[in-house]
Amino acid sequence: MAAARKVRAVIGATNCDDPKIDYKNVQYLEKFLTPQGQILSRRRSGFCNQCQRQLKQAIKRARHVGLLPFVL
Amino acid sequence: MSQMYEAMVLLDNDVVRQGYENAKSVVTDTLKKYDATIHACRRWDERRLAYPIRRKNRATFFISYFEMPGDRIPAFRRDLELNERVLRYLMLAVDGLPEGEVDEAKVEETAEFVVPAPPEDDAIELIEEPTSELVDEDVDEEELLMLGDDKED
Repeated sequence: MAAARKVRAVIGATNCDDPKIDYKNVQYLEKFLTPQGQILSRRRSGFCNQCQRQLKQAIKRARHVGLLPFVL
Repeated sequence: MSQMYEAMVLLDNDVVRQGYENAKSVVTDTLKKYDATIHACRRWDERRLAYPIRRKNRATFFISYFEMPGDRIPAFRRDLELNERVLRYLMLAVDGLPEGEVDEAKVEETAEFVVPAPPEDDAIELIEEPTSELVDEDVDEEELLMLGDDKED
């Protein structure tokens, strides 16, 4: 019998369509980074496709202006 | 046709230390040079950078909202890139002016506004590494050698 799939906690499931997704909102964006500084997948972040794209864009903008690191 | 833009400009803290108005004029003068209609321009924050930019660990962030014809944007961008006082910039086309932005920008124009001075030193704060209590520094080399011998047996 196959082992049960490990379910990880979803972070932003209730926050979809949240206006907080902005490159200046660093504290919020930091929640969607791994300890190494990578962007969390949609499965982990809980965002819809559109919001995940906005999140990606916001994190990349924050990285460009030195608000977030590329690598931790 | 003019489009509304948002520009985040990172200025060298050395420029801000010489005078806040002087630092702000780096952004506003460049905008005026290209006949931009400035709706708001203010100091967003002064903070430590996530990684050094041009060997600077801290920077002052200025945010501005302005209208400018699209054909002047490449020249404006080039001007910012050539400016040595500008560490980095980010320019975005936005739909409109965010709520409260004009009010926040007007606060800077009041006489009561005091500019928080940037820290004197841009050096990265050194974090002291916690000393492990498990490591006993007084262990003699002879004892270590003896322990090594035991393992071989």
